[in-house]
This record gives sequence, C-alpha cells and structure tokens, in this order.
Amino acid sequence: MRITELFQRGEFVLTAEVGPPKGVELDHLIKDAHEYLKTRVHALNVTDNQSSVMRTGSLATCKVLKDEGLLPIFQITCRDRNRIALQSDVLSAALLGIENLLLLTGDYTTLGDHPQAKPVFDLDSVSLIHAVKRLEEGFDIAGNAVDGAPPKFAKGAVVSPCSDSVDVQLAKMEAKVKAGCEYFQTQGVYEPEKFIKFMEQAKQFGVPVQLGLIIPKNVGMCRYMNANVAGVHVPDDMIKELQADKEKTKAGDTGVEICARLIKECKDYAQGVHIMSLGWENRIPEILDMAGIAPITPVV
Amino acid sequence: MLITQLKSKETIEALAQGKTVIINCHGCKEVYFAEHEADELQKDLNGVTQIITTDYICNPDNLKLQLKKHTDVINAADTILVFSCGVGVQTVAALFEGKKVYSCCDTYPLPGFQGVTPLNVDCGQCGECYLNGTGGICPITACSKSLLNGQCGGAKEGMCEVDKEMECGWERIYRKLEKLNKLDNMKYEAPKVRNYHNPNAEEPTI
Amino acid sequence: MEDYTKFKLKRKEELDAVLADKNDLFVVACNKCFKELDSFDEPECGLFEEIAKEQGKNIVGSARIDFLCNEPLTSKSFEGLLPEGTKNVFVISCGLGIQTIAGLVEMPVYAASDTVIVDGHHGMALTTTLCDACGQCYLNLTGGICPVVDCSKSLLNGQCGGAKNGKCEVDKEMDCGWQLIYNRLEKQGRLQEMLNQPVELRDYSKVNHKFVSEYVKSVREERYEGYYGGIHPTEFKELSEHSSLVRFPEPLNVVIPMSQHAGAPAEPIVEVGQQVKMGQKIAQAVGPISSALHASVSGTIVAVEPRLHPISGLEALAIVIQSDGKNTLDDSVKPAGDLDKLSADEIIEIVREKGVVGMGGAGFPTAVKLKSPKPIELVLLNGCECEPILTADHRVLLEYADEVVYGLKAMMKASGAPKGVIAIEDNKLDAVELLQAKTADIENIEIVVAKTKYPQGAEKMLIKRVMGKSVPSGGLPMDVGAIVCNVSTAKAVSDAIQLGMPLIERVMTVSGNRMNKPGNYLVKIGTSVKEIVNHCGDVKGDDVTIKIGGPMMGFAQANLNVPMLKCSNGIIAVETTVKEAVECIKCGRCADVCPMELRPLYFTKYALSEDWEGMKTQNTMDCIECGSCEYICSSKIPIVERIKIGKTAIREGK
Repeated sequence: MRITELFQRGEFVLTAEVGPPKGVELDHLIKDAHEYLKTRVHALNVTDNQSSVMRTGSLATCKVLKDEGLLPIFQITCRDRNRIALQSDVLSAALLGIENLLLLTGDYTTLGDHPQAKPVFDLDSVSLIHAVKRLEEGFDIAGNAVDGAPPKFAKGAVVSPCSDSVDVQLAKMEAKVKAGCEYFQTQGVYEPEKFIKFMEQAKQFGVPVQLGLIIPKNVGMCRYMNANVAGVHVPDDMIKELQADKEKTKAGDTGVEICARLIKECKDYAQGVHIMSLGWENRIPEILDMAGIAPITPVV
Repeated sequence: MLITQLKSKETIEALAQGKTVIINCHGCKEVYFAEHEADELQKDLNGVTQIITTDYICNPDNLKLQLKKHTDVINAADTILVFSCGVGVQTVAALFEGKKVYSCCDTYPLPGFQGVTPLNVDCGQCGECYLNGTGGICPITACSKSLLNGQCGGAKEGMCEVDKEMECGWERIYRKLEKLNKLDNMKYEAPKVRNYHNPNAEEPTI
Repeated sequence: MEDYTKFKLKRKEELDAVLADKNDLFVVACNKCFKELDSFDEPECGLFEEIAKEQGKNIVGSARIDFLCNEPLTSKSFEGLLPEGTKNVFVISCGLGIQTIAGLVEMPVYAASDTVIVDGHHGMALTTTLCDACGQCYLNLTGGICPVVDCSKSLLNGQCGGAKNGKCEVDKEMDCGWQLIYNRLEKQGRLQEMLNQPVELRDYSKVNHKFVSEYVKSVREERYEGYYGGIHPTEFKELSEHSSLVRFPEPLNVVIPMSQHAGAPAEPIVEVGQQVKMGQKIAQAVGPISSALHASVSGTIVAVEPRLHPISGLEALAIVIQSDGKNTLDDSVKPAGDLDKLSADEIIEIVREKGVVGMGGAGFPTAVKLKSPKPIELVLLNGCECEPILTADHRVLLEYADEVVYGLKAMMKASGAPKGVIAIEDNKLDAVELLQAKTADIENIEIVVAKTKYPQGAEKMLIKRVMGKSVPSGGLPMDVGAIVCNVSTAKAVSDAIQLGMPLIERVMTVSGNRMNKPGNYLVKIGTSVKEIVNHCGDVKGDDVTIKIGGPMMGFAQANLNVPMLKCSNGIIAVETTVKEAVECIKCGRCADVCPMELRPLYFTKYALSEDWEGMKTQNTMDCIECGSCEYICSSKIPIVERIKIGKTAIREGK
C-alpha cells in the first residue's frame, strides 16, 4: 500500500527508520520490527547506505520486510548511482511490490567509510522525483516509453524545518512539490515553535508533512548534532534537561519523554510522525504511548 | 592549468633504476612547482647522469629543441625521471617510446584555466552555462555535489557538509538572487539535468 | 593554428528566452584566450548585439576586455564603464569571466555563452588533453600513457573488452588506450611488470576542494604580495652569497667611457700623454642630466678615442689610462667634514662633483634626484637585489653597513626627507639582522623586509611595496614623494663625503653556474671584463652566454673587450638558452606577470606590424623592461626586444 493513501484517508501517519546492517544477517532487524514497530507504525523507512557507510542494500531489505508482512519505504540517494541505475532500481522496486519511496540527494562520499569512492550525483533529489514521476507517466527521463502498465508510487522527500536558513529550505521544498513530491518527512525537530512556524508557511503547498524525531540519547549526542548535523538544533534547556537527572537520561527515559512531549506539542500541525531511533527501536512504543498515540492495525 | 605535488621520496628512489636522466619543467613554476624540494630530493638519488631543467616540455617542438644537446646522455640512460605535470611526462614518454619514462609528481586540477594566476572563481566547462539562473554563481563548482536544483540540505549554518570552511553554494546563490530581487529564478519549472553526452553548445544561427 | 576558445555563444532560441524580459543591456565580451593572436575583433559580440536588436532591445554600451577572468586587471578596466541607465549586463566569455563580472557589479549579470571543454588547456602546448589531473599519477605503471585519459572509461586495470580492431567502443576513431599501453610496455619488455601489478583503485577524495582552495589562496597571496604580478626565477645566489669581498688585482689599463649614466655623455678634460692621479676629475658633466668622471687609477692618459661600449654594443668615446701601479691619490680627495655641519646644498654639490650615479642599473645622476623640485617624504634604499645570481648589494650591506646607513642619512638631509627606509628581500636575512642592529637607535630609519619576488628592485614596484603608492604613468618617484637609490649608491655617497673619494670603484658579483670561480669583487671602474673573467678561472663549457648585469636585465656580451661601468653590478656566465619563437597563443601569462599591469602580448604583434599607435594605446612607454613577460612566454617570443623597437619608434616620434 502507498502511504499517500493513508494521508488521504486523514490518518496520522506513523513511520520509523531502520538501517540495514553491514552484512546479510537481518534476524535482529526483523525481530525488532515485529516486536516494537509492527503495531505501532504504519511503515518502515529503510536507509540507503546511511551516512555514506556501505551496508546491505535498501531495496533488498525492503523486500525482506515486505515478505515479513511489514510496509517498507525504499530510501534512494543520488550519491552512488547515475540516472540509469536510479531509474532501474525504481522499476525493480515496482517489480517487487515496493510502492513507497523517499527520494534524497544523499550525504557526500567523504563523510562515510569509503572516502575514496567516486561521488556520482548525476541526478539530485528534485530531478530524481521528476524521473520517478516520468516513469509513472510511462516514460523514462530520456523520453523513452516504458513497456506495459507504468508503476505507481508514493513519492516522498525530506525538508529541514529547523534549518538555519528556512527560506532556502522552503524554496527547495516548493521545487520538490512541483516536481511531484507527495509527502515530506522532516529532519529531527527539537524546537516546536520553529516547526509550527515552518508548517504555517509550508501549508500553502498542500502536501502532508511528518514531524521528524531523533531520540536524544544523551548530552554528547545532542552537542555532536548541534555541531555537525545539518538542520538539527537541540536548544540549551533541552540539554539541561538531559543533564539534570543523569541516571534517568542514561536509562533513556529523558529522551523518550522529550520525544513524547514534542509529538504532543506539534501533533496538531503535522500529518504524521517519523521517528529516527538510531538503534532504540524498543523505545518507540513507549514514546507513542506517552504521546497518547494508540497502536495501529498493520497495513501492507 | 595544473598543479603538481612531488611523489614520496621512497617512490621516486624506487623509480631511479640504472643510469638516470632527470628532466625538470619550470614552465608552470609560477603556478606551482616544488622547486627546492625537488632539488634536495634529486641530490640524493643514485645513478643520475644528467639533470636537465627547462620549461614548457608539454610542447613537443620545444621539448625536442631543449633536449637536442643532451641526446647522447639520454640515449645512454636506462630511466628518465620527469618532474612535471602529467602532460609533460607523456610528451617525454611519447618522444622516447622505448625508454622507461617515469613521473615523479602527481597532478591536480586548478580552478581557472588560463594564465598563471589561480582563480577564486571556477568553471566546470559543462557546455550548458547555468549562471543565468543563479545570479552568476556556478552551481557546478560552487556546490560540492554540483547540484542543479537547489541545496542538498547538508549545510550547517550556511557551510557545506563536505568542507565546513566552504560556504554552501546554493545558499550563496539564494542570497545573491535575494539581493538582486530575482528569487523568482529559484521557482521550479522543470528539473535541470546535465547532459554529459554532448556538452558542446551549438552555434547560433540568425 | 587551431582555435582553443572555450566558449560559444548560446543558441539563438536560448538567448531569445533569456533576453525576453530584459532591456537596457550592456554587453561585455572577453577577447578570447588560447587562440592565435591574429585579430582583435571577436565576432560573437556583434552577433549577440544583432540578436538583441532584432528583439528591439536597447544596448546602452559594450566593451571588449582581455582576460576577463583576471580580476585585478578586469576590475580596473571595468571601472566607471557602465553608463547610467544600464539594467542588465550580458557577458560573452567562459564561466570564469562571467563570474568575475558577476562579482564586480551589483546588477544582474547574464551569460550569453556556454563554456565548453577544449583539448589541451592542461599544459601550455595546446595539443590534445593528456592529463586529467587525478592527483595520483598512474603513468609509471603504464609506460607513460594515461589510462585515465586515453581509456574512455578511465579503467585502471586493463581494457574493458569492448575494443574492436584496436579501436574504442565509445569512439571508433580512438585507439583503445589499454591496447596502446600494452604495446608500449611490450616494447619496453615490461609486460611481466604489468601482470604483476596489484589491483588499482582510484581515490576520488584526493582531488578535493579543500586542498585546491587552500592552495589557490596561498598562491594568490604570493602573486599579489606587495604589487601585482612578478615572477620567481631560480636564484642561484648560493654560488656567491657567502663569498667575502675581495679586492680585484690592480688593472694595467682602465677604459672609461664618457657615457656611463643616464643623460648626456661627459666631456673629457684631459689630453693624451697627461699624467693623472687617482680620484682626479678627467671628464666633466654636460648639461643638467650628466655626471663627471674620475681617474680610477693613477698613471698616464694613453688614448681618448672611441671604444666598444658594453651596453650600446657600439663604439663610444672613452678615456684610456695606463696605470702606474701606485694609486697616488689626487689632492681633491679629502674628507668634507662632519655631516651635521654640511647644508643640503653642500651635500648635493659633493655628490654631483664626485660623479655619484645610480649603481643599480640605469645610472641616473644621484645629485639630480636629490635636488627634487617636489617635496620628498621618503628616501628608499633599494637592497632587494631581485635579479638572480647577483650578490653584490648583499655583500655591500654586510660589509659596508655603516657606510650605507651614513649615505642614507646624507641623502635624507640633502633631500629634506623626514624618513628613510632600507628595503631588503627575505633571502638576505643576515643583512636584515645586521642593518636592523645598526639602525635600532635611529628613529626615522626603518628596515623593511620584502618577500622575494622579481622585479621587486624596480623602483616603481618597490614604492608600491613599501609605500603602497603607484607612480603615475610617465611619472617619477618624486611624484609620490620618494627617492629610490641603490644601497651601493648610498655607499658611494658616504665615500664621497667621508673620504672625498669619487665613484671610481664598485662591488660586483662574478658568478653564474658556468663561471669557474664565482665571487664578489671590489673592482675599479674601467677594468676589462675579459680580465675579470680570466681572473675568475674562465667559463665552463662552450654553450655559454656572458652578461653584464643579471640574467633577467643584463646585457649579453659577444666581445669581452669592454670595460666595467659605474652601474655594472655583475658579470655572469650562464648556459645559453636555445629557443625558437612561435606564434602567440594568448595564454595570458605575460599579462599575469607584468608588474606594470600591461598586456605585453600586444607589443609582440604591434612591433611586427609597425603599429606604433597601437603601441601607445597599450602604454608601451610604461614598460620597465624587466623581462618577466619574456621569461614566462610559452611561445618563446623575444618580447622585450620588440618592446624596445616600439619604444624607439615612439621616441623618434613615429
């Protein structure tokens, strides 16, 4: 099922991010997905060699999750594939019944574990969205007809509401919408007021937006993100909150509370929530419980 | 326009086998040539029968002219070590096909491709100039990823994710357009996709 | 010659679209580079204007500029060029030029052209593209054939298997690069070496923005340090910089030409057969810009006749003295007394009377400089010695530091300058330290250390470097309140006042890698160059050029039977350069290095076509003949020679 249908139905769409391992043992990932996510989120984003670190492929992992009765979102970046490979993988996804896409430009190669690799960036997020839209219309990006019935996807992209230059973000968001983007997941949000202000401006595009959350595990992680992660800013009082009760923070409870609170504060302005747990999948049910979001009936 | 860096001393020592002739090219020295480092390194090499320092060896005619009086010593050499950019090395290698001609430098590209002075501005020679939509800032070279449809989102406080000392090219473009009151240029009409196949622009006809 | 221009006007449809909502256009076109310099007319500019006019656009003006990407020169050419009412600027250039203009003006700048990749811009020889600048040269593994460029797929571990009959699958006209590599290695008996190679992987992170941008920053800083342009020739100063001064053996004869200074030649006041003493005046100045000459030995006048002159290469009147070997001093040689008690005019008179002239090169009479009609704020002593090989000034600074400082003080007093500076390049740190110590207690004298760059010793460059001021075109240092003198001149001023000794000897360097015994000598004016060369063990090899002066601006001597002059700072023996001039390819290097910010490429063309008007338009007379352009010329054109032709023609009123 395409998650755009859920948005259309007016559902508050819940998604969570999982990262394939470096290796082919997916047991752990599958077990966690069943145990913590299956009845709590509608779909699972599968990252594409996240942070430019080489791992098992997103598409194959999506297929495994789908076979397990879960709804995967295939994340595709432009870093490692030229337009031929990108379109080919999109068609492959359709072949495997994977209908949800999140289309990204991708981190630069030198940030990961193969800094010597050739960066591709033949297309970027906007032209990739366009390419997928063209495939849906029955043509590839070079204008050649695609045989048979064209595929249909839910085409998603990302945006950073708490970026230090929101105006530039909005300009690009508009380009993505015009190119055919149908839903957005945001970068991690820690400042509800910025998110709300952003959403007031983004409303004009008429495209659903999921509030992005990164569970703040500890002070060090927050400081690191403030220094290095684009579009993310953890305010000082939140860092103080994490510092206040060290034991509680260590147990992960402060982070869970913060996330739940952020959901509550932003819920009315967003069309869903996307949680990037970075290995803390087991805490997602608690967050949602605390935020007052009930379990869901799984869709496939 | 190219700049060169010396290969490591160990690498160069391993290359100097038998009777060795060294050719230094000072043609682009004002751009960059590690003259003194090369001098020092050459002093310690074994089997050097002649050091020839000249310029513009990328020009085959000039190269021949400059090497003329060294013909005998070159013919007797086992190895020719060339300290120049890759163009110079290949010009020498083409002139002495039967000789082992080795490169002692690695060659890097330089922004700007005329004259001696390296330039701050850069041009990717893409054949489909995008400057009209970008306030005169080249997205191919000002953006680490050469993106054409706006920023990747990886910038933090306006600085590029690839190099934190480099400004995000697309933020620069946005600010420039804002200043020029041309933000409409950022409005999406169609995706821009590069044509790698035939970048040469066609001649206009009237 | 092929045309390597890397931009083409955009297609008409595209231009129409860009032009649609714009009016009141100013058009800038770059005079193309990397093409034969055969015409100064670029048709694209007209073509674009036609397209614009067809659309009914108002063109407010246009400009054609050389090397638009050269920001320092372009910003000057562009100043005040845009007429009022300009709304849009269109640029016909490669992307560099467009971006330079976009950075210079506040209004919207548009590209009317696309930049295309052309072969051969890597390296200066405009052949085919040979190097991809990957930062990890593979040529050592491939017999000198580049797998990155010569293989369409830039494969590093052998051919892809797509070649047919040795031709590439991507381009059937192109040889398979790996086939070529195989053949070359087979010829060299290196196939086993190739088979034993480990798998090669390219490291794309090697060529990164950070490395290149930091590098660019450093090179730009160096290039514009102090003044625009300049070059860094190999110095070779180590040959003689540590050799202490030695007094040259007494010459048997000295030949003293009447012309050894700027201005009118001096007039002999002695006759053949007459006895003269050392320091006695033998010729008097004629007119305001001229200088007296003195006997550098005691002895007999044996001839007053034309002799070969080292600078003009022609015969010119000279006085020949046969030395009696006694060096008997003339009565006129006596100290002038305490500097504090001498008036400015008295100092100037001593300097004039003792025949002191600029000893750095041109030999301008020092008294004329000191008697400036304009107020002087700074006496600038030039201790740069930016010419390679020469170390004479360096030795003067080290061995006559007190005299140099005394001379500077005297010149400051004579000219009324409140301040004095001794400028020394940073390749003479021992001299810097010594002079700093000597002047530590003198409030109004400063030592300026300048980063080594040729031609820093040219007075206009030095003024820019030290004072940050530009001498106006056709002007003199006094126009910006400066007097520039060589450090040896300061020493001569000191000798004239403290000893009463006229300028009859000087320090010179005898060096170069073809001179057998390099050194620094104290030589009598009029000593034969041949004698000096012989004394220094003669030269090595048969492909030797001997020059009086440095390698950049010195005068080559075919016949060594010429005398040393007051302004001869060295005799050098260097390897003869072999070169054949080819057509100018407009690489722009001459314009990039010209410290006077001229465009020497035009001179090469105008001199041949005898276009003296063109020469004037390009400010030929501002050229200081430093030779930087000729040094860097990738086409090996004798640019200075052609400039001199132009200057002569202009002086002759053509």
